[in-house]
Amino acid sequence: MLLSLNWLKDFVDIPKSVTPEDLGLKLSAHTVEIDSVKAEKEKFDKIVVGKILELKKHPSADRLQLVKVDIGKEKLDIVCGATNIKPGDFVPVALVGAILPNGLEIKAAEIRGVKSNGMLCAEDELGIGEDHTGIMILAKGKKGENLAEYFKLGDTVFEVDNKSITNRPDLWNHLGMAREIAAFLDLRLKEPGLDLNKLNKGKGRGEKLKVAVKDSELCPRYMAIAVSGITIGPSPKWMQERLSAVGMRPISNIVDITNYVMLELGQPLHAFDANLVKEISVRRAKKGEEMETLDGQKRELDENMLLITDGKKPIAVAGVMGGLASEISDNTASIIIEAANFEPVQIRKTSRKLGLRTESSMRFEKSLDPNLCASAIARAVELVKQLCPKAEVASDLVDIKNFKLEQGPIAISLEWLEKIIGEKFEEKRIIKILENLGFAVKKNGEKLEVVVPSWRATKDISIPEDVVEEIVRIYGYNNLKPQMPKVLMQAPLINEERKLERKIKEILSQGAKLSEVYNYSFVNEEQLKKLKMEIRDYVKLANPIASQHTLLRQSLAPNLLENVKTNQARYGEFGLFEIGNIFMDLTGAEDKGGQKEKLPFQERKLGVILAGEKKGDVFRKIKGIVEYLFDHFGLAAGFEILEDLPGWAESKTAAKIVLEGEKETALGLVAGLDSRVAASLNIKKETAIAEISFKELAGLIFDKGIKKYEKLPKYPPVVRDLAFVVGSKILYNDIKKEIENFSKLVKKVELFDVYEGEGLGEDNRSLAFHIIYQAPDRTLTAEEIEREQAGLIKTLEKKFEAQIRNF
Amino acid sequence: MKDKIEKLKEEILDNLVKAKEEGALRDLEIKYLGRKGELTKILRSLKDLSGNEKKEIGQLANEIKKEIEDKFAEMKKAFSGKEKKEQTDVTLPGEKIGRGHLNPVTIVQNELEDLFISMGFMVLDGPELESDFYNFTAVNIPPNHPARDMQDTFYIDKKNKDGEYDLVMRTHTSSVQVRAMQKYGAPLRCVVPGKCFRCEATDVRHEHTFYQIEGLMIDKNISLANMKAVLETVAKKLYGEETKLRMRPKFYPFVEPGANGEVTCFLCQGEGCLLCKNSGWLEIFGSGLVHPNVLRNGGIDPKIYSGFAFGFGLNRVTQLKYGIDDVRLFNSGDMRFLQQF
Repeated sequence: MLLSLNWLKDFVDIPKSVTPEDLGLKLSAHTVEIDSVKAEKEKFDKIVVGKILELKKHPSADRLQLVKVDIGKEKLDIVCGATNIKPGDFVPVALVGAILPNGLEIKAAEIRGVKSNGMLCAEDELGIGEDHTGIMILAKGKKGENLAEYFKLGDTVFEVDNKSITNRPDLWNHLGMAREIAAFLDLRLKEPGLDLNKLNKGKGRGEKLKVAVKDSELCPRYMAIAVSGITIGPSPKWMQERLSAVGMRPISNIVDITNYVMLELGQPLHAFDANLVKEISVRRAKKGEEMETLDGQKRELDENMLLITDGKKPIAVAGVMGGLASEISDNTASIIIEAANFEPVQIRKTSRKLGLRTESSMRFEKSLDPNLCASAIARAVELVKQLCPKAEVASDLVDIKNFKLEQGPIAISLEWLEKIIGEKFEEKRIIKILENLGFAVKKNGEKLEVVVPSWRATKDISIPEDVVEEIVRIYGYNNLKPQMPKVLMQAPLINEERKLERKIKEILSQGAKLSEVYNYSFVNEEQLKKLKMEIRDYVKLANPIASQHTLLRQSLAPNLLENVKTNQARYGEFGLFEIGNIFMDLTGAEDKGGQKEKLPFQERKLGVILAGEKKGDVFRKIKGIVEYLFDHFGLAAGFEILEDLPGWAESKTAAKIVLEGEKETALGLVAGLDSRVAASLNIKKETAIAEISFKELAGLIFDKGIKKYEKLPKYPPVVRDLAFVVGSKILYNDIKKEIENFSKLVKKVELFDVYEGEGLGEDNRSLAFHIIYQAPDRTLTAEEIEREQAGLIKTLEKKFEAQIRNF
Repeated sequence: MKDKIEKLKEEILDNLVKAKEEGALRDLEIKYLGRKGELTKILRSLKDLSGNEKKEIGQLANEIKKEIEDKFAEMKKAFSGKEKKEQTDVTLPGEKIGRGHLNPVTIVQNELEDLFISMGFMVLDGPELESDFYNFTAVNIPPNHPARDMQDTFYIDKKNKDGEYDLVMRTHTSSVQVRAMQKYGAPLRCVVPGKCFRCEATDVRHEHTFYQIEGLMIDKNISLANMKAVLETVAKKLYGEETKLRMRPKFYPFVEPGANGEVTCFLCQGEGCLLCKNSGWLEIFGSGLVHPNVLRNGGIDPKIYSGFAFGFGLNRVTQLKYGIDDVRLFNSGDMRFLQQF
């Protein structure tokens, strides 16, 4: 929303010492964020009045014209697409370097081979109106004159951040803002002082307008009055200037008055042509009912929408937009002015459903004060009389109302106030601040009884805390002295899982040299199909914003693979990890709140991806990373055959991650990417992925990852190497276990070489182990070890048909 | 015996000083240290000594032998002259040790968590797929509030008994406020870092997936002045001791009064620059005293307790800290970005 400084000054005498910039900062500090403060003079920097000298066809573009335009000190050649111009017209010319209100910077350009030094502007491009049908044609002016001077602009305009006043229905107008300014500058507010009694004078006294409100819940108040003796024409310059300054296009005196009153007081009004509207009935629309709104669009209505009708046909969508049929025209001689109050939720829903967000609906949906109708209709009649001297009230004032406001009083104790603000305020000061804002304050013992002004009572202020905000913001947050809380010292509970997560991130990003990615929680069907993943129990978004983000991920793998695509062209070998949530359409553990229902299943996962040049390499390395991670917690990772593998996994290189020796613990999986899947994804690297349930891992670490000192051995270990050939189908896990369990003297078994290939025969491989023998109570003798080793060999030969190799 | 050895040592050292080139040095080495060398002979003869003498002189002889050998080695090096002729290029790089990288949001989040833990705050988590109740109703955002618009919120395609969507991707970490109150009661001090979602198209400044850190402190006698002091501490931790804090009224349904917070632009020290759009200030958080309705929803009596809540946009704080100009980079997985941290 835009505010005009001149307009604000109607209601408060802002001292010269407060510059517009100061005022902007103060408004931001006390009331609402001001996005910009602009002197209108600067608004049209480098935009001047020009006179068109000649038009020529563009040599290579039928739709473009070459315009020669005279801007006084020089003549410019400009390429233009509009067709509404002719030699002799005066037009706004944006020179090279100008920045239009919409942010467009004008540069010297070559358009289809012809140089263009500037731009001729349409109304909307200048932020003057919405018209984009052609170049704005000006009345005759001085060539080269700045457009602001041409329009004689002398106002300063504040741009309010609309989002910060969604809770303040009273601020969507100049009077409301002026009241704030008066409050924080401690000045007197010049109330407009509108008198309803004046409306009952005139020859129309006794004339009754036929008005019926069929749904008083959706229409808590409806006021209307007829005024005759209207002559439609342009509104006076002062009104046009104000409207233009705040971005409202002047149309005609009556329409301008309705807009002016809305911008001044915040109450949207509507004017009907009284000759076309003989009676008014406010009711809900019927299913399938249609009407043509002011913007010329046919609208389909439904039972949840409120209409203003003439007894039969709709003449306006209540509070949203008027109908074309009863619109004010050049021939209008008498009018009915409507000032009504509509229920905000209905307005909001209707305007959303129709896709029609108007100045009017924007205000009604904030919960307007029904009392505002009265002052607004009085002001409108006053202005009509002022602009149309022959105008006279032609009916009694209709006022159908059914509303009640909760205005308090709200009782506030000074002691509580001091406690909650953390600073002591003088009672006098508090009362002053509140009274300046329109509150009535009465002392009652130790308490203040605060009556809320009607314009703040619709939803904004209802509890003592709301009043605290009023006091503090006018006093100024920045004047508050910070003070650390005085509370019992207490060590916080430690979130062990969170701590572990940090530890894991540290291990992976440091020793394991992986980079941490944050991925979207979303995937899509096509992506999953390419990964040959089964699409079952996926949680779906009802309103996805992008076609690639429609489902909630069940695995970190799909997006980690996307990360490989992002980086594969620039890096040889690389590794990434992510810790993030996955989701499934199954019952989860967390309460939904209120009912006994649970939220869908969600759990945290750790995902690692490695991309490199050699298949075996990345698979081995990623297992190494898992082992490295486990080792930090004093645990040994083991790998077992994975039977139920995800679609993307290559069956040859897919394993279940377990705690070593405990086949049944399933912590996650590690697998290479299937080469066909890789091809369909356009992944050019050999890739392996590990995915681990964070919860399972954490449970394991908390349970078993306890480090304990073991006494240093007194007697030396003896290492013997053993290499043998076995069938490829025989698992390392089984062989290792066999060796470890062979004898108490075997302290440790370490694989140091795997060889497959020439000389071993097909389906065979050679494994080489360091076998470490050690006894706790003596130094082992050579004979003892030879005996052990011979026994071990015999066992391996028998059990696995191993053939011992000699080095 | 002892004298004999000492004397020989002097003799050797004297000769060594006189040696002018490598050949002479080699001759001396053979003469004294060779298999039939003089010192070697003496050392060998030690075995004929007895008891204490053997031990004492043996030790001395060995020390002298070591000293002389070292001297020879040193001289040899000097003659070979390698050190002088082939100067090492000390500017050559060392052996490369690769490293991994944390996402910068993680780095900033950890830093803030540590600060809050040091002030007695717990670090909590909450579900990312959240109920309409905890995300909205519980924090005083009633049905039909604009914040519930489909334009802003990702709804889950699953209707409840009444035919309404009542599951969302949480739009803020404030969804954990009431969960925390229900679980821990008052007094309560916690922060909640986490992933949040808004249904909006992404560009340089907008992301539908982003990170926040929420804070909540509830106790007897908690005031606005307390909130200001805590937030000032955070601002200084993030951007340095000189940082100033500015607060302005701002409406958030779950607090009353509500305020947003800005800090002096660290780039221009408040002078005004491109980063702060010439204002000298950067907006980094929203805050306020917890609305009594929210306390009540969390089972806490607002007549006894009061509290403050605040939320920082972690992406924004991180962007400002490192000067990152495109919010989409955080979720891009682009290693050119990640490797800078």
